This record gives sequence, C-alpha cells and structure tokens, in this order.
Amino acid sequence: MEELRVLDLTRVAAGPYATRIMADFGAEVIKLQTKKIATGAESNESAYFRAWNRNKRSITLDLSYPEAKDLFLELTRISDVVVENFSPRVMQNWGLNYNNLKKIRPDLIMISMSAMGQTGPWKNFVAFGPTLQSLGGLSYLTSFSKDTPLGLGYAYADMIAGLYAVVAMLAALEYRQQTGCGQYIDLSEYEAVCTTIGPTLLDAFINPDNILPQGNSAEYIPAAPYGCYKCKGEERWCTVAVFSEDEWRSLCNVLGNPSRAEDERFSSLSNRKKNGLELDEWLGDWMAKRSAEEAVQLLQAAGIPAGVVQNAGDLAGDPHLHARNFFTALDGLDRDGTKTDTSPMKFIHHKNEPWRAAPSLGRDNYYVYRELLGLTEAEIKSYIERGIIA
Amino acid sequence: MNSEAREQGLLGGIRILDLADEKASFCTKLLADLGARVVKIEKPGGDESRRMGPFWENASHLEKSLSFFYNNTNKLGITLDLDRNRGREIFLELVKRNDIIVETFQPGYLSSLKLDFNFLKAVNRRLILVSITGFGQKGPRKDYKSCDLVASAYGGQMYVTGSPTSPPLKAYGEQSYYLASLFAAIGILLAIRKRSQTGSGEHVDISLQEAVTATLEHVMVRFFSEAIIAGRQGSLHWNHAFKIFACKDGFIHLTLFQNWETLVEWLDSEEMAEDLKDKKWNNEEYRQQHIEHVIEVVECWTKTHRVDELFELGQLMHFPWAPVLSPKDILNSAQLKARKFFVPLYHRENDTDLSYPQLPFRFSSRFISRKKRAPLPGQDNAKIYKGELGFSNREIQQLLHLNVI
Repeated sequence: MEELRVLDLTRVAAGPYATRIMADFGAEVIKLQTKKIATGAESNESAYFRAWNRNKRSITLDLSYPEAKDLFLELTRISDVVVENFSPRVMQNWGLNYNNLKKIRPDLIMISMSAMGQTGPWKNFVAFGPTLQSLGGLSYLTSFSKDTPLGLGYAYADMIAGLYAVVAMLAALEYRQQTGCGQYIDLSEYEAVCTTIGPTLLDAFINPDNILPQGNSAEYIPAAPYGCYKCKGEERWCTVAVFSEDEWRSLCNVLGNPSRAEDERFSSLSNRKKNGLELDEWLGDWMAKRSAEEAVQLLQAAGIPAGVVQNAGDLAGDPHLHARNFFTALDGLDRDGTKTDTSPMKFIHHKNEPWRAAPSLGRDNYYVYRELLGLTEAEIKSYIERGIIA
Repeated sequence: MNSEAREQGLLGGIRILDLADEKASFCTKLLADLGARVVKIEKPGGDESRRMGPFWENASHLEKSLSFFYNNTNKLGITLDLDRNRGREIFLELVKRNDIIVETFQPGYLSSLKLDFNFLKAVNRRLILVSITGFGQKGPRKDYKSCDLVASAYGGQMYVTGSPTSPPLKAYGEQSYYLASLFAAIGILLAIRKRSQTGSGEHVDISLQEAVTATLEHVMVRFFSEAIIAGRQGSLHWNHAFKIFACKDGFIHLTLFQNWETLVEWLDSEEMAEDLKDKKWNNEEYRQQHIEHVIEVVECWTKTHRVDELFELGQLMHFPWAPVLSPKDILNSAQLKARKFFVPLYHRENDTDLSYPQLPFRFSSRFISRKKRAPLPGQDNAKIYKGELGFSNREIQQLLHLNVI
C-alpha cells in the first residue's frame, strides 16, 4: 500500500489496530494527537500505545480550535482514507463529516468505527471492547453456567472490529480502483461481535430458549472426547479433540488400552458423547502423570488433534512461532528494541521490514506541515503558539 | 470503469474458488457478501464441514448444518473429486478462469496432487493462493492436526479465559476460524492490490495459532514490556476497569473507574454507598489496591436493580455499561432491529425464512441485493460445468456416473 495515505483519528485499541495493519503493509498512516489526549493508553510512552501504533507517523493538531479545521481539510485533500472511532456526534460537531470532507477530496474513503453504528436508538451509547462482548453474546456464552457469565479475558471485540475495518477499507479501495468512486463506511463494533456467533444466532432464531453456555464441551461439535485436561505441574493444561473413528482408535492405543476401542459403550461418536464423563476421567488420569508438552507430542504423533494451553511466557518462547519469525524486535528509531508480534499473514513474495517503533508525540509535525502541506516556518510557529499544533 | 463491479458490490468482478472446510469458509463468505463471485468446491456428496452443528431441528444431516448455512451464504456450489485424474484436470480448467483459491488442506496435500502453488502459478500466473491451516505451511508443528480447541489452547486464548478456580476456558464458538478468515480476507485484498501493480500472484500462509496469538490485546504487550504472565480472573478485566455484576433479573457489565464520583453519588442517593464516600476512595490507586471492597459494595447495589434500569440510566449519565445478553436477547435488540442487521433468507426445504446476521458495516454505495442461502451439494454443477466449461449433458452424466462430480 506504498502509495496510500491514511489520516488516523482513532484511539486506544480497535481503530489503532486497524490502522496498524495499514501501516504494516506500507500505507503512510498519520496519527493525529494532542498533548491533552496523549495520556494513559494513548500516551506515546506507554507499552500499550507503542504496541498499536508502530510504523505510523504522529502529528499534533487540536481540532477543538476552529482554525484547526482548515489544516485538517488540507490534510484530507492529500489523503486517501480517513479513519475515526468517535461517538457519532463528534466529527459532525467539528464540521468534518463525510459530506464535507468529500467536497475537498471527491474519491475519499472514510470509515467511522463506532460502538453501535451511526444510526439506531443506541447510536450515542458509549461502550468499550469488554462491554460489547457482553452485548454481543460472547460473555453469556463463554462460561460454564448461565448463572456466572465469564467472557473472554481480554478486549477481543476491539481486535475483531479492527480486522473488519481493514477488510472494509481494502474493499472500498478496490472499488475505487475499478470505478473511481469514494466510499463512506459505517462500522458497528456491536454488530462485529454478533457476527462471530453467527451459527448460534441462526439456532436461536429456531430454538430461542435452548441456547446455553457449554464450557469446553460443545454439544454441536462432532467430537468426543473433547475438552481441557490438567497435566503435571502448576497451571499446566492441554486440550484434546477426537473427531474420527481412526482418531479414537489411535487414542486408545496411545493411552495403552487398545481393547477400549472395541468397547460397545464407546463404539460411536454418540456413545462416546453419552459416556463422556468416564472418558474424561480416563484421559484425566493419563494426563496428570505427564507434562502438557509430552502428552500433546504423544497424541499428535498418533494423529490426534491436541494442544498445549500456552501462557504468554510459553508463547514468547514457542519454538514453532520462533521458526516462523512470528515475533520480532522493533527497529527502534527513538526507542529500545521491545519485541512485538509481526503479522499472521505471511506472503511468500513480500516481507514487511523494517518494523518501525511507534512515534513520539508530534514527531512528524515538520514533515507533514512543512513538507507535505508546504506551510512556512513562520506559519507553523504561529499555529504552535496558538496551541493549535500542540 | 467496470460495470459488473458497480452492480454486484464492492468486490464485483473478483472470482474465487473455495476449497476450504469450516476453518475458513467464513473468509469467502465475507468476500461473497461483498460482491465477489465464489464457487465452493465440495467433494462428491458434500464437504465435511456440513457435519458441524448446530443443526436445524437438531438432526445431524448434511443439508441442515446451521454452521454451514451461515458460513457459505452467497456462494455457488459445485462438487468435484480432486483425488481423481479427471477431477484434477477439470480443476485446472477452473483455475484458468478463477484466479483466487482459498484452501485448508494439511500442508503437503496439494503438493501430493501436483496442485501446489508453484504448479498452479504455471497454469495462471495471476493466481493468489491462500492456505489456512492449524500451524501454517512451515515450522516444526506444521503437520500437527488442529481445530478451534487446539488453536485456542496453543494460541494463548484459553489460558486467560475462565475464572481462577476453573480450568482454562475456550472462547465460545469457533473464534479462531473467524479470526483466520478475517486475516485471510485481508491477505487476499492486499494480494489483489499488489497484483494490479505487478501482474503476478501470491501465496498467503495463515496459521490458526498465529491468528489467535496476534489478537490477544493486552496479553503479549504486558509480557514483552513487564514480563507479566496474564492469568484468569473471571469477568474482572486485567486492569480492573470492567466487571460483570448480578442484578435482580440478569447481569450487567460495569466500569469501576470511569465517573467515579458520579457513581458514588448514585449509590449514596440510594443509601448504599457505605464507606465509599470517604475521600480516600477518590484516589484511583487506592481503589485499585482495595478493588475487592469496591466490588462488594457495588454488587450489593446492583442486586437491588433490574438490568435495563441500570443500562438506560447509566448510559444517560455516560457510563459505558452494557447488559449481558443471550442470543435470544440479541435477536430482540432494538438497536440491531433499527439497523436491519438481520435479513431473512428463504429455505425452500422447510418452506420458511431463516434470519441471518449481516456483515457489521454499511456502505454509502448502494448495490443490487442478491442475497442467497448457502448452496446444496452440487447445486450449481450444470451452471459451471455446462455454462462455463462447455461440457455436454452426456459428459456431465458420465462425470456423475464416475463420481468425479
């Protein structure tokens, strides 16, 4: 995306993750900040900010000043995409809605990533990733019982919304390539979460009252045994999923009881599901004597899907991820070489390098205002003195 | 100007062959919903992914999988046996006319059929091949078998999901498949963009494990910056900013730090603030250190209220709170109804509509709607084999007879 320029007004996670992917693949992403906003998760010094804003440029522009609007319009004129994740009223109040921006740049692509979408009775409701996971059914369903909803242990919704935003932007860019037309995209993070339980929503349409959380044992998955088992050591676990009859026979062999494969009570998937508790105990006893790594290695060698429940430390040292160069150090322009994940999209004819560290606050003011917009030194100085570039 | 593109959606004119099972059917569903023409190729009799539940009427049946329905809307469906020589030949004819392929076979399988990327690109140099597997095409675990439960474990999702006293918990549904599908769709669109500049194709390698690890939000960030190994803490967010609380009639997801003073005033107006009015609680650090007490007091209060009451009043005061909704509640959501998020599609076999969730975005360009339910096995064989490859009826009969299609 080398020839693309993206104006990034987003904050915290969902938006910055979307524009990070654009930046990773070559787009020039210019992040708009102000000193006032650059605190907490948006502080350029925080690890969180640095994770989601690598490969980007940073400028300061305080849009609450009316004079800032003209600068923003000038930036829009030279940009392909504008990304924002405010509540619907914010861009409107600044006079920077799509209709106004497209007068300046007719083929502009603009995406609004709000919690609820730009329309509907809840459009101005405020929400964050975790609360959207609850609105979208994930907290209710990810649990062992409907009486104690748990949900995922992180802001998954923000990542999902970020990925959808990239799909939408790239699809709109492809359309622009074919037709010359710009695009306005209204993305709802609430709806993004709902799409990840699609089959269950179809099921609920047919059987509204029968949908319950299932813990790790999923009724609707054609596999048994299917679950998570405690292994040797503190907080060491592994998962096993047996789908086919071949896998079932292999499991009996690996666990040292080949005759069990002939046992009537386990002779089909439905029988194994029916007598699942007994199988779980059997697997549990076997696992308890082994490390998770050893158990999984034995099972996978016999062709049975199994996985180590890895924690952050395991992942950082994972030899498979290492062999695939999944983690890398950032090329520290003005920072240390903190590690980061690269990208789960690996192209055989393309390498994303270098991975540049996130910018300091306003690091690219001179480049953007002087070189791209052609302001004079005096003009820039005056904007700075008035607190507009601040 | 491409007029086909204008009518069918943003991706009108893009042609894709879908060889994927449940691990990545959603990738091409997404692109088909955006206007691409997707031909799903199943083995004669139907793809294994039709065995994935839940099922319509709870009956395990190849034509009743709701998972298959959802993940294959707007696609055409043909059957073809790639393991037979004649099937392989026909496939290569299709590759000349459709230059994007999405597949989920174990690494090495396509190579054993002489259908790997290097071979296929000799047939069509613009070919974009996207391979989605448990662990990717390379690395010591490339031949390991996977499924969502394995990807969720190996990827790091399970370790941080669940309560401190429970085993690790898999995220509901097939989240790793949706993640990998989204990355695959982005990979395809990037490769198309590059191809329009260079004229040549790409092979994109996607691993379910990496799709999960790449989207753990705080987990790896905190490890690399502070060597923290995040654990399971129920619904309490890692930084204590959010937690789920019980109400009279359900559950609500609250924030514990935003608008603190307003929250305390609210509790106090109902004489339930206890000692939280004390000045020391205004200090965020102090609240962090004594979060258990804050939770205790707030929970006593939420239990005296209904979920809707707290949601609506809370939002009026700009608290980013939300109810914990069940799938049934989601179908009745006023917000989703107003945005027409669910669209009915007709199913002739049951003579009824099913209500399908749409993609989570709306575009300013309007397109001719062409919503179609997922295909039945081999539904479009005549259209593709006769209409596009020009086979005669007799040839098609023969292929059917030989079980090639």
